[in-house]
Amino acid sequence: MQISARRLDKTTIFDVTGDVDLATSPELRKALLHELRDARIPRVILNLKAVRYMDSSGVASLVEGLKVSRDSGAKLILYGLTPSVREVLQLSKLLKIFEIYENEEQAISP
Amino acid sequence: MELTAQIGGSVTDGLAYLGSLASLSSRAAYFTFVAPFRGKPLRFRQAVSQAMQAGVRALPILSLITFFIGLILALQSAYELRKFGAITFVANAVAISMTRELGPLITAIVVIGRSGSAFAAEIGTMRVTEEIDALETMAIHPVDFLVAPKFLAMVVMLPCLTIWANSMGILGGALFGVTRAGFFFSRYAHASLDALFLRDIVTGLIKSVVFGITIAAVGCHEGLSTGTGPEEVGRRTTRAVVVSIFLVILVDLVFTALFFFIGGG
Amino acid sequence: MEPRVDSSLQHEAMISLRNLRVNYGEREILHGLSFEVVRGETLVILGGSGSGKSTLLRALVGLERPSSGEIWVKGKNLAVVSDAEMNEIRKRIGMSFQGGALFGSMTVGENVALPLREHTKLEEPTIEIIVRLKLDQVGLAGFETYLPSQLSGGMRKRAAVARAMAMDPEILFFDEPSAGLDPIIAAGVDELILELKKAFHMTIVVVTHELASAFLIADRMVLIDKGNIVAIGSKEEMRSSTHPRVRQFLDRIAESEVLEEADYLQMLTEDHPRKRNSMTKRGGA
Repeated sequence: MQISARRLDKTTIFDVTGDVDLATSPELRKALLHELRDARIPRVILNLKAVRYMDSSGVASLVEGLKVSRDSGAKLILYGLTPSVREVLQLSKLLKIFEIYENEEQAISP
Repeated sequence: MELTAQIGGSVTDGLAYLGSLASLSSRAAYFTFVAPFRGKPLRFRQAVSQAMQAGVRALPILSLITFFIGLILALQSAYELRKFGAITFVANAVAISMTRELGPLITAIVVIGRSGSAFAAEIGTMRVTEEIDALETMAIHPVDFLVAPKFLAMVVMLPCLTIWANSMGILGGALFGVTRAGFFFSRYAHASLDALFLRDIVTGLIKSVVFGITIAAVGCHEGLSTGTGPEEVGRRTTRAVVVSIFLVILVDLVFTALFFFIGGG
Repeated sequence: MEPRVDSSLQHEAMISLRNLRVNYGEREILHGLSFEVVRGETLVILGGSGSGKSTLLRALVGLERPSSGEIWVKGKNLAVVSDAEMNEIRKRIGMSFQGGALFGSMTVGENVALPLREHTKLEEPTIEIIVRLKLDQVGLAGFETYLPSQLSGGMRKRAAVARAMAMDPEILFFDEPSAGLDPIIAAGVDELILELKKAFHMTIVVVTHELASAFLIADRMVLIDKGNIVAIGSKEEMRSSTHPRVRQFLDRIAESEVLEEADYLQMLTEDHPRKRNSMTKRGGA
């Protein structure tokens, strides 16, 4: 898994590629918590277009990021879910809880 | 022929048993002393809770028993010493027999009764309920997870308990010394300390460490060897106690002889 | 019906057995079994008590080493792997034991968290969320602080499934999922297995002697008797089988009614193979 950050005005976009699994999800968690809790960025957007696989630890990291964003009044937005990621979130009953968009324009515009 | 074959058989069985204890101990030692340096954290929390269970909770009963033993020792030695008008040597007799011999031994026997049997029962029950199998299918080594913390707790707690047992024994002797041999308490304490050399205390503590290893090894080995069926747990627990007492006394003999020959007494 | 090997290309074998033999001491329990478990299917291993089905399951998760033959799981032959390789495979499988085998001194949550704490570098908050996700998936949301002894039999089994799923395994094994449960609770566990299969596309291997449960959850079945494969096939193939052993098992005919006269005489008179072993074992203090 690789994460690269694009920092716009009051928004950070993370482009995530590869597998988010037990070995790599701590990195995703760290990046999310840094932007949301330490840097207090009001909006963090995750581009998951290139994520082939996400396991429970990846889901748990997203959940923790969401919790932190809600606590600090920030927004955590996902877009570009691949069918497998969508399914994992569906199984965890989280599809309706996250703010999810199809593409980057929609994710940035609101 | 039949008899020699039988004796030979039991000797090889006995050696094989000691071999499996040694291999279990060395694996436990690996997980306690080597694995932590290879990125596998030591199970410190479990070891502490085992030490609490095996050590601190044993204090009341151990204190009572060793106090009585000290008193008995004083009575027995006074019986002989008074014939020679040497009743004031009671303090020496009690202090030396407690620290060199009875302190470590009585402590070991109390710990066998409380903890050696509990190790066998706990691990044996986990065998029967497939919890050991579950550990293995989760890629967790049962020796690492269950046995190593018990070894650590035993190796640390037995010497501590032994020091406590020594003091309680001397206190028991003092009860006799003060009431029957005309000692003031402070003089009895002084006489006891004067009688002791550091060597006496150290040999007792060395023994107690080996006793600790023996008790943990036998208890855990019996637990891990438990077959199927709940009645096996009871049998293994009994066996753990009997074998531990035997081995502790055997180890005691070996070390006492060793200290006798290398130290000239 | 002959044992057959599924060879169609789109079916990837997750487990494949080749002439597997397992011994307990001198007695051979499994006499050369060969079959495959295909990715995403639920395979039920069916057999009476003493058929060798439990030994087979123990061999599949590496608790018994084969005396000969091969067990291929994830490209590794369990018969010859090193301990380290075995542990890597075990991190990718989950096993739910007959009685749950939860650790009594730990809470349900700690039980589920155990493999994660042992094998991953995940932070505590992540582990806690995973534990809650898994417990929710088995219908035990909110029970993480309970001790196993405070749960009913069916709940313990569910908790054991949650623990088996903690590391997102590729293969899930069940030993007698409905044993010791009343029929309604047992049906609930079957339901759970079906849900897991549907939701996670997991490869599932179940050992059971319960016919109703087997026909509910299985894609394919293997019937084992006396350490041999009697039949292997889909539910329909099993139902329509004319093999006498299959019929006997499915129609629940008592053993004694099926034995040939010669077999019966042998059963009454032969030397008991286990007798000698157990005598020598029971020496000692």
